Amino acid sequence: MNVIVPKTAAELNYGLSLPHRKMEDWRWTDLRQLIDRPYPPRQTVVAKGVEKLIKSSPFAKVASARMVFVNGHFAAEHSQLKNDELASKVKIEEPVIAMNAAFATDGARLRISGNADTPIELLFVSTDAAPRTIATRNVIEIEKEASVTVIETHMGEGAYLANCVTEISLGESAKLDRIKVELESGEAIHLSHTHVTLARNSVLNDFTLTSGAGVNRQNGTVEFQGQGIDAKVSGAFMLGGEQHADTRLVIDHQQPHCTSRELFKCVMDDHARGIFQGKVMVRKDAQKTDGKQSSHALLLSETAEFDAKPELEIFADDVVCGHGATSGDLNHDHLFYLMSRGIPEAEAKSLLIAAFVGEAFDVVAHEGIKEALVKFSRKWLTQHRRAG
Amino acid sequence: MLEIKNLHVKLADEDRVIINGLNLSVKVGEVHAIMGPNGSGKSTLSYVLSGREGYEVTEGSVTYRGEDLLAMAPDVRASKGVFLAFQYPIEIPGVATMQFLKVALNAQRKARGEKEMTTPDFMRYVKERAARLNISPDMLKRPVNVGFSGGEKKRAEILQMAVLEPALCVLDETDSGLDIDAMRVVADGVNGLRSPDRAMIVITHYQRLLDYIVPDFVHVLSQGRIVKSGDKALALELEANGYAEFAGEAA
Ligand SMILES: Nc1ncnc2c1ncn2[C@@H]1O[C@H](COP(=O)(O)OP(=O)(O)OP(=O)(O)O)[C@@H](O)[C@H]1O
Ligand SMILES: [Mg+2]
Repeated sequence: MNVIVPKTAAELNYGLSLPHRKMEDWRWTDLRQLIDRPYPPRQTVVAKGVEKLIKSSPFAKVASARMVFVNGHFAAEHSQLKNDELASKVKIEEPVIAMNAAFATDGARLRISGNADTPIELLFVSTDAAPRTIATRNVIEIEKEASVTVIETHMGEGAYLANCVTEISLGESAKLDRIKVELESGEAIHLSHTHVTLARNSVLNDFTLTSGAGVNRQNGTVEFQGQGIDAKVSGAFMLGGEQHADTRLVIDHQQPHCTSRELFKCVMDDHARGIFQGKVMVRKDAQKTDGKQSSHALLLSETAEFDAKPELEIFADDVVCGHGATSGDLNHDHLFYLMSRGIPEAEAKSLLIAAFVGEAFDVVAHEGIKEALVKFSRKWLTQHRRAG
Repeated sequence: MLEIKNLHVKLADEDRVIINGLNLSVKVGEVHAIMGPNGSGKSTLSYVLSGREGYEVTEGSVTYRGEDLLAMAPDVRASKGVFLAFQYPIEIPGVATMQFLKVALNAQRKARGEKEMTTPDFMRYVKERAARLNISPDMLKRPVNVGFSGGEKKRAEILQMAVLEPALCVLDETDSGLDIDAMRVVADGVNGLRSPDRAMIVITHYQRLLDYIVPDFVHVLSQGRIVKSGDKALALELEANGYAEFAGEAA
């Protein structure tokens, strides 16, 4: 693929192009405030410690065909798959996509036909001392009746801005199980936009784990372009320290007889801040839509914060739609019951937190991947477990 | 084994006294039945013994095997052998029953300085006990109590008891909600645990259970204190006459 280099100096002028809190969708994530320095595009490929990062992927032990991107460039030497040639199609005016269009250097291009038994892991690693923008653009086309599991893993070291736009299209009766894990470096900023279009009778099972990066903003759009589509979009936040994560999801029902389910489980510790903005749109023609969305936050400290902004925009009259959001701390009765059986408080809390977040993993069908997620959540908990 | 002296308990956030000068002495090997009208404080007593929050002891003491029970956290009480079969067992979504049992048993063993049980040994150990209580392997895979019927929940409580092998078992209305066959199964389970180094406090409304689990003593709890004690004949008497006689006495 061609390397896209920003054409004008103005494109480097972050201060002017960044979204800010006066924009409705960005009211919680003011990038003008959060991005305190310019992140020029990366010019060179510096690749130190790549092997180590690859090995530290939670899915290192899951049998998969891998495509590795190092600092925004495809690294054939670490990959088992070749990169395809596919053109980007998405034309939306959106700040993350605009930034991506200016800076993207490479990305995964996948066309899937038939049933791919082995999951494909797209691994994006960033390694460099200097603050840089690393932008990737992925295009994934799943042909009619094809099915595949795609893992997207984001990891890195140091301070950088990762911008990842992924365009996915599912053909008729195609099936995609997608698992994204965002485990960027704590000093990093992760911005992403995932745009999914679904054709008639296709099935999408989507899961995102958000646990890395100091600042995270993820946009998702799912367009239901045919009838009989079944889409589940789930996510888990596991955040601590001063982490900030903002997910904005738009479920766009355009055709009748489709089902959508969104479930987000967010565990927030320390001073972490989580935001879930979920919009379910049901257009005039999308009769018999069955759409439900819910977000639940578990606040492990009094200084953690969670905001939910659920929206329903319904223009059809024969639909079943709903949303719900809750936020609170651990259930004391549950805790007492476990302790009354001899389980010490810290361990009982860990069990309950793991159970809480684990509900979001249910959308993941692949046993090995699910196990890796459970393992990751346990590890996170031992690092963040508090007795008080 | 258990010595309750002049116990007074109020609700933590209200000025309401629930237990009002209760005395009870349970020796190892004994089975005590506690009966009494609704709202007399039976479950509250069981919660105070197991350490549930929301209650405040304003007077009196509870000594368990020579130690101050009230000073211990709930998990410490459990690892020292105190077990409560809840009147209303709590559902815990997302925690599989088998996993819960394993974590609980190993936590107790660890607290007592014993070796943890290996997974295969543990599986065998639980399955054997579950079979005796007519609990299917499928139920063990499900989250703790979630979607269990009333009777299944009670049987699951007894399974936990059989797995954890506590020294002091407090059963709070384990018989309510059980059909006749299930009651027999549960009673057999409880009787199987009766031993000279174990004591039991059986809270019930029905004399019927005491035909199966024959108590050494029967106490009547009314308005937060024990107003009458006797042997198993007292249960029969209560069945015939009700609690009218005690309502006046305690007031
Ligand atoms: N946490 C609580 N908050 C408010 N009231 C309480 C609480 N716990 C107990 N009570 C009250 O204390 C009284 C005793 O309750 P308890 O559950 O101990 O009765 P019980 O003897 O077990 O009754 P039952 O036979 O119906 O099970 C009741 O009036 C009850 O409403
Ligand atoms: Mg009761």
